[in-house]
Amino acid sequence: MNSVGEGCTDLKREYDQCFNRWFAEKFLKGDRSGDPCTEMFKKYQHCVQKAIKEKDIPIDGVEFMGPNKDKP
Amino acid sequence: MWSCSYPWETVIKAAMRKYPNPMNPSVVGVDVLDRNLDPEGRLHSHRLLSTEWGLPGIVRAIMGTSHTRTYVKEHSIVDPEEKTMELCSTNITLTNLVSVDERLVYRPHPDNPDVTVLTQEAIITVKGVSLSSYLEGMMALRMSANARKVFLYLVGSL
Repeated sequence: MNSVGEGCTDLKREYDQCFNRWFAEKFLKGDRSGDPCTEMFKKYQHCVQKAIKEKDIPIDGVEFMGPNKDKP
Repeated sequence: MWSCSYPWETVIKAAMRKYPNPMNPSVVGVDVLDRNLDPEGRLHSHRLLSTEWGLPGIVRAIMGTSHTRTYVKEHSIVDPEEKTMELCSTNITLTNLVSVDERLVYRPHPDNPDVTVLTQEAIITVKGVSLSSYLEGMMALRMSANARKVFLYLVGSL
């Protein structure tokens, strides 16, 4: 599955692999240890934000974390 | 409402990776816009889905657009304690013509933890078209049949 930004697909896939592993092996098993994918997510998001602006996709109203906010 | 004989964790691992799938060939892109845990430990994800409808030229002419790419925003909440996964999606393009708000909830069957139940609700509003109730009915039927096919596909892939 591709990203909305053609240049972001590789970053997306790397993040997805990390997330899917954490989701299945940690989160669903009740393990609340930190999310190991944060840095990957920031890089991926930076790319996606740019693509969304360039394509003028109307995502207003979607809470958008962006690379500058801290994850809980 | 549908059910399948797999435990909830198995079904939602598949549901989280539900695109691509041959039942929704129009979904061509998925991006996560935000993901966080709330104070109750539930995982929230906000995703952007890109869909490509491949509309015939005459439909595009009537709609007054040459753009066939549409976008949907989806908010999902996974509660690993209560064992529920809720997905709410709505279109963010073509909103002047139609609104499709869909809600899916996956939870274990109350009497059998090895069975998962999916409930689907959709509200479809077609704007400014005299055949609105007919079109809404057709879309509702199509979405329901499609959700069932996707659910069966997910189960088949487990």
